[in-house]
Amino acid sequence: MDFNYSDLQRMLLDSAERFITEHFTLEHRRSLRDSANGLDEVAWATFAELGWLALAIPEDLGGLGGTQADIAVLAAATGGKCVSQPVISTAVLGTHILSGATAPRTELLEQIVGGAARIALVHGEPGERYAGAAPRAVTLTADGDGFAISGQKLLALDAPSATHLIVSAMLEGEGFALVLVEADSAGMSVENYPLLDGSRAADIRFETLRVHGDAVLATGKKAEALLMEALDRATLARLAQSVGSMEEILRICSAYLKERQQFGQPIGKFQALQHIMADMFVVTHQARSALYQALAHAELSAAERSRALSLAAITIGEAGQLVSRQGIQLHGGYGVTDEYEISHHYRYLLTLEKISGDLDYHMSRVGQA
Amino acid sequence: MDFQFDDNLVEFRQMVREAVKQDLPADIREGQRRFGGNQSDPHDSLTWTKILAKRGWSVPHWPVEYGGQNWSPMQLFVFQDELTRAFAPDTCWGGTHMCGPVIYTFGSEAQKERFLPAIINGDFYWAQGFSEPGNGSDLANLRTSATRKGDVYVVNGQKIWTSCAWMAEWGFFLVRTDPTVKPQRGISFLLINMKSPGITVRRIPQINGEAELCEVFLDNVEVPVENMVGEEGAGWTYAKFLLDHERTTSSFIYFNKRDLRIAQDIAANQMLDGVPLSKHPRFQGRLAQLEAEVTALEWSVLRVLANEQFQYNETAAASVLKVAGSRLQQTISELHLDLLGAQSIRQFPFEVHDRPNSPLWPDVTENANQRALIQRASTIYGGTMQVQKNIIAKLAFDL
Repeated sequence: MDFNYSDLQRMLLDSAERFITEHFTLEHRRSLRDSANGLDEVAWATFAELGWLALAIPEDLGGLGGTQADIAVLAAATGGKCVSQPVISTAVLGTHILSGATAPRTELLEQIVGGAARIALVHGEPGERYAGAAPRAVTLTADGDGFAISGQKLLALDAPSATHLIVSAMLEGEGFALVLVEADSAGMSVENYPLLDGSRAADIRFETLRVHGDAVLATGKKAEALLMEALDRATLARLAQSVGSMEEILRICSAYLKERQQFGQPIGKFQALQHIMADMFVVTHQARSALYQALAHAELSAAERSRALSLAAITIGEAGQLVSRQGIQLHGGYGVTDEYEISHHYRYLLTLEKISGDLDYHMSRVGQA
Repeated sequence: MDFQFDDNLVEFRQMVREAVKQDLPADIREGQRRFGGNQSDPHDSLTWTKILAKRGWSVPHWPVEYGGQNWSPMQLFVFQDELTRAFAPDTCWGGTHMCGPVIYTFGSEAQKERFLPAIINGDFYWAQGFSEPGNGSDLANLRTSATRKGDVYVVNGQKIWTSCAWMAEWGFFLVRTDPTVKPQRGISFLLINMKSPGITVRRIPQINGEAELCEVFLDNVEVPVENMVGEEGAGWTYAKFLLDHERTTSSFIYFNKRDLRIAQDIAANQMLDGVPLSKHPRFQGRLAQLEAEVTALEWSVLRVLANEQFQYNETAAASVLKVAGSRLQQTISELHLDLLGAQSIRQFPFEVHDRPNSPLWPDVTENANQRALIQRASTIYGGTMQVQKNIIAKLAFDL
């Protein structure tokens, strides 16, 4: 075992931290709220230049063939500055499905690598709480030489800035199907909205949207397995983002305890606060360990992979709650303002936890596995 | 010992419930239920105060001679419980529960005449000027100064965490009138017109997207000496009186009860595997646990209201309510988020008229989401969790 970064990971981390620290200042992130779809075009072009959008794509499909550990290193760096750009939707989840499709979508993958295309998964449906298992309400039905999609989807993360949507639907006789749809297609009604971390999502109603037969990326067991794999990869990357955020909170809070004075001394001199800080340190350390445990199982069978991932999600989810809540507590009133970093980390960690399946979901997944 | 409520309380509760049903405008109730946030929308709050005043109910806890009702502490408890339960907004607490009692207890006749009727009728909002940027937990070290010059005090300094200061017409401020004596003795209680030259208000954007809290800057603000309440240098005593006067408020028992009910409603309506969350053991357990905690808190409040002779220091007992109540506010909110799952992370727009109405989203989602965020402050304001625990250790156990 070797838990130190490889040379390649060290390079990736250095360039990521340099760019992210310089570019994603608090003021800049707050200003992105005013943009139409939350996308930071300048940053996105830089992601492409730095090769981040190619990292998860296999080399034979024109990518860099990075491991999930490489992705985690990068994701943790983005988490440190609460980056809520659609990187994981596109460069982890999207690229995995497009690479693993029955016929890999090399052309679209190229556009992703170049920064011209962005992918959003349109999967969740009302009333299912992360389960996402068949049978479900959104259907794909044969329609002439193609298919028609109809039904209601909920909370499609990053859909507002996506150029292409990957839609999950039930195909008669096949079960699950994954379909590629251009984001500006006719036949859908879309309600876009922001999430607490500044990212965007959409509720999408398909009113008999027609697609060609070749829009189907995969069907049946293959589609289901591909989707679950892609979702687990995305969750793993988001857990890494959470760890990055927590580690930054430790830095922010310990600095604040030394700086803020009350009763004639830095508040860090009070044992009550020292113990809070120590608790935060303990669970953050455990969170990174949990992440490594999940990475160690990331390429094993679906059952082993998912169970390990859910164990990590429980540890990291609970750690994130404690660290972000106490992070605010240590800041006093300033902690609940939008003008201090800590409230942004709070919202970021909450969003990551709830997007990736909450603690209840992961606990039942472990309990049943 | 007698653990029964007085007989008349059942009838009293019914009477209040009927009255609120009749009086509370539907739009105000729906605004509170769906978009409540952490603080009553201040305009609704004043409107509701005027409506209550018609029945003589806007300050029932005051002495009768100043416009109160001769209700027992238990009746006042039931009254507030019913109002909150019905999603009525609060009155402007700064007026009705904070500076009002200070004015009728320590104020001059002129101050009583001028300000009490306005508080009773909800004529305007009151700002509370206590905390300062450098002195939150350490309030006695506040630095905003008031220097006597002829008929006026000239006030300079900065206050923070003042709710709704942008729309307040008057404020009650703690200021330092004497920098040479022990910190607590140099503080005075001053009423300041918020429209005075030299006052600047900045709204602070909050974690929940609202901007209800403010910074107030005072730059050579001239305040007539007749706006000093009581004696110069006695401000700290009055502030303590004001906080002791509200020994049970910090339990937030009414809100805790209401928020628990909201959690139970969400659990009954959100489905998992075709079954409501309220039937899933994990959520059942959490709901039961919170119900137990809310129930215990309510009885802790009743013990204070019924004037139990405590074995321990009374202020320590009040800190029990604050510690348990503030933490409970957070745990119930955390359950709201968990019950809503991924639907708990939507950011809703600040302006009410921009707010969407999608049947895909439970209609209390926004209230639950925004409230959960600002609830992080409940273990901070009014004395942080850590300060409360220090108080308990010192006053209950002399540690």
